[in-house]
Amino acid sequence: MVQLRPRASRVPPSAMVDEGQPASEEEEEAEHGLLLGQPSSGAAAEPLEEDDEEGDDEFDDEAPEELTFASAQAEAREEERRVRESVRRDKTLLKEKRKRREELFIEQKKRKLLPDNILEKLTTAGQTNIKKSSGKLKEANLQKENEDCDKGSDSKKAKVQKVQSVGQNKSYLALRLKDQDLRDSRQQAAKAFIQNSLYGPGTNRTTVNKFLSLENKRLPVKKAAAQFLNNAWGTQKKQNAKRFKRRWMVRKMKTSKK
Amino acid sequence: MGEFKVHRVRFFNYVPSGIRCVAYNNQSNRLAVSRTDGTVEIYNLSANYFQEKFFPGHESRATEALCWAKGQRLFSGGLNGEIIEYDLQALNIKYAMDAFGGPIWSMAVSSCGSQLLVGCEDGSVKLFQITPDKIQFERNFDRQKSRILSLSWHPSGTHIAAGSIDYISVFDVKSGSAVHKMLVDRQYMGVSKRKCIIWGVAFLSDGTVISVDSAGKVQFWDSATGTLVKNHLIANADVQSIAVSDQEDSFVVGTAEGTVFHFQLVSVTSNSSEKQWVRTKPFQHHTHDVRAVAHSPTALISGGTDTHLVIRPLMEKVEVKNYDAALRKITFPHRRLISCSKKRHLLLFQFAHHLELWRLGSTVATGKNGDTLPLSKDADHLLHLKTKGPENIICSCISPCGSWIAYSTTSRFFLYRLNYEHDNISLQRVSKMPAFLRSALQILFSEDSTKLFVASNQGSLHIIRLLEGSFKHLHTFQPQSGTVESMCLLAVSPDGNWLAASGTSAGVHVYNIKHLKVFEYSIPDKQYTEWSRTIQKQGFHYLWLQRDTPITHISFHPKRPMHILLHDAYMFCIIDKSLPLPNDKTLLYNPLPPTNESDVIRRRTAHAFKISKIYKPLLFMDLLDERTLVAVERPLDDIIAQLPPPIKKKKFGT
Repeated sequence: MVQLRPRASRVPPSAMVDEGQPASEEEEEAEHGLLLGQPSSGAAAEPLEEDDEEGDDEFDDEAPEELTFASAQAEAREEERRVRESVRRDKTLLKEKRKRREELFIEQKKRKLLPDNILEKLTTAGQTNIKKSSGKLKEANLQKENEDCDKGSDSKKAKVQKVQSVGQNKSYLALRLKDQDLRDSRQQAAKAFIQNSLYGPGTNRTTVNKFLSLENKRLPVKKAAAQFLNNAWGTQKKQNAKRFKRRWMVRKMKTSKK
Repeated sequence: MGEFKVHRVRFFNYVPSGIRCVAYNNQSNRLAVSRTDGTVEIYNLSANYFQEKFFPGHESRATEALCWAKGQRLFSGGLNGEIIEYDLQALNIKYAMDAFGGPIWSMAVSSCGSQLLVGCEDGSVKLFQITPDKIQFERNFDRQKSRILSLSWHPSGTHIAAGSIDYISVFDVKSGSAVHKMLVDRQYMGVSKRKCIIWGVAFLSDGTVISVDSAGKVQFWDSATGTLVKNHLIANADVQSIAVSDQEDSFVVGTAEGTVFHFQLVSVTSNSSEKQWVRTKPFQHHTHDVRAVAHSPTALISGGTDTHLVIRPLMEKVEVKNYDAALRKITFPHRRLISCSKKRHLLLFQFAHHLELWRLGSTVATGKNGDTLPLSKDADHLLHLKTKGPENIICSCISPCGSWIAYSTTSRFFLYRLNYEHDNISLQRVSKMPAFLRSALQILFSEDSTKLFVASNQGSLHIIRLLEGSFKHLHTFQPQSGTVESMCLLAVSPDGNWLAASGTSAGVHVYNIKHLKVFEYSIPDKQYTEWSRTIQKQGFHYLWLQRDTPITHISFHPKRPMHILLHDAYMFCIIDKSLPLPNDKTLLYNPLPPTNESDVIRRRTAHAFKISKIYKPLLFMDLLDERTLVAVERPLDDIIAQLPPPIKKKKFGT
């Protein structure tokens, strides 16, 4: 049953200059209207009229208060300033919040990365000549690398830079697994291209069985194909038949025993 | 000679991998062949086409291009994006250099031998400089839109032709820019939907570019103007390879139907000077795609998906017309893939990534000469041993007593101990192999199974004593100073005292195991001197010399030292040193001795070489004991049945 504040509060302060007094009066009257339990109605004009009437009844014929233009203007300006300041404060608050969040993230990231000295070594280790070591060696080296820098670096195992040698320790080679995936995917794409161009749709290929049986078909006494039987035909059916036979035999044995 | 029971074994399911690239080296008359599983084999064409070296394969290495450079250096490029140089002395890979262009599709060496071109997946052509110990990247040429599938240098080294998808570009080497871009017509059997892939290009010194593509055409282009000169439609399927001879008067192309065509430059009329290219001879020796061809001065070499390597000497180029100029078809590897344990009748089969152990079946029936006896107990598949890792197995061996199995890949050596309890087998791995036993080229057990001989690829020979559950390193024979040759073949004498090894430079070293010293040629020579001298005098029977496949295995009969049993892919033979040598007049391949002939004639015609051609094609043959032989055959049809699909051939009436 709450009646919304009428248009008075929504009207911008600059437009309220002339009607300063009557607006405040109307507000008070509206409050009165509320206390008296006036039903909420759609049109905003009605309660105003009622309030006006009731307001007039209550108060004596009093002249409305004199409000100079200057004071109203000052009040309006105050309001404006207040609003602007609150907006600015909100903005700064948001900025602070964002800054704090960023710092938090940076700190977390730093905690996850390798300690500074190893990173320095990696970046200043010279040309990145990508050398692929043999399979076993790579695994052993990766393991070693992980053991060496285990400061909570479990999640960053996959992202180690590729270098030729790390300082004096020539016992391991760091490799980036992301490059290996890329290489594998390219190799797969190349193999798929060859497969498609040689054996894909549009090529005129036949099975080996048909190829070898071509001679048999042209002999004066025609012979069967090289691989005449298709042993893979109806495997499911054959399996079902076998199972059924076994069960039937068991049943037969039981009944014959009785 | 005696009668034998023969176990005919056909359950070795060996399928060789298809041939992908072939490269011929003129100076040394050697042929490098790379297969789809990454193995690279080197054949010596002057030594009876013997496969003298091989580099084992690797799962990630899919070689697409192979070429020889100056100074007997071999390079290959593959789909893993790396350029690999092979060390032919130490039989390993020297280094692998990433080309940074994605998968490598083609490679070409300039005629001066110092520059290497690589065509990559991203459309770039990269130029490398070949330095004495490595290769160095020089620069990139202009990048093209699609992958570069074939490359060819102009003999002068100023221009290159690069074949791609739907077009061919001609580059100027100095500036690196594309001079011409020739578009190829897509039409294939009346349809223009599929892209036309230029599988091969060749640049001749008069500026003609020859291209072969997937629409079945061979086209001649003029590189100065960038226009098509002549078009030959030769097949209904892809034409996949091209090779030009050194004199540039003939070239050979291979198609996906298995046909190889020979083109020659002939004059238009008999006495005019104008010449034109004419398709002269078709050869149908393959059933599947011919993916690689090479042209030597006297022969055409082709290899493809059907795993045969076919060497066809050209009659007009061969000087001496003898049986040397016949067609050679190399199907089976010249190394041993099977080893046998005589005591327990076990066979160990070596595949690319696993080993299988089988026990031979037995029979109690007896029969006459030539009968097939039924098996009372079938052959048993006892063990299937898989390797870890992507590398192929180089060699494997089982000890004669059957309790040790050893095999080796390029980086590791494995030794296993087998225990037999009442028909069950349990396997135990012997761990902690010593560091020097990293990769072995040949493994052999001694006859009494107490010693293991390992020939490593650094040229040294290790002897290890095998004990109950462990091993003890006995001795290492270091290579002779100055040579780093790798041992290729090993043989041990039955009494366990002598070990013979032959290296890559074809010298034979004999080691005395008891006293751990090295002899050279002494023991076998001492035994052979009288016998071999008579051979030299009389000369071998002419048919014997004409055998075109090399002997793959020799073994000795322990009880009768006069007999030598040897076999190659098509026959096996027992040489009896006590009988006289045959002269040219007698029949070499004598069939089953007729029983009704009189004794005198039989004695006169009997000679030292007893040859039987019943079992072919033979992969392995050995003596199990006094009366039994085992022969492992591999019928060709079984291999063909497991190959990829061939091109459809439409024949009338089918």
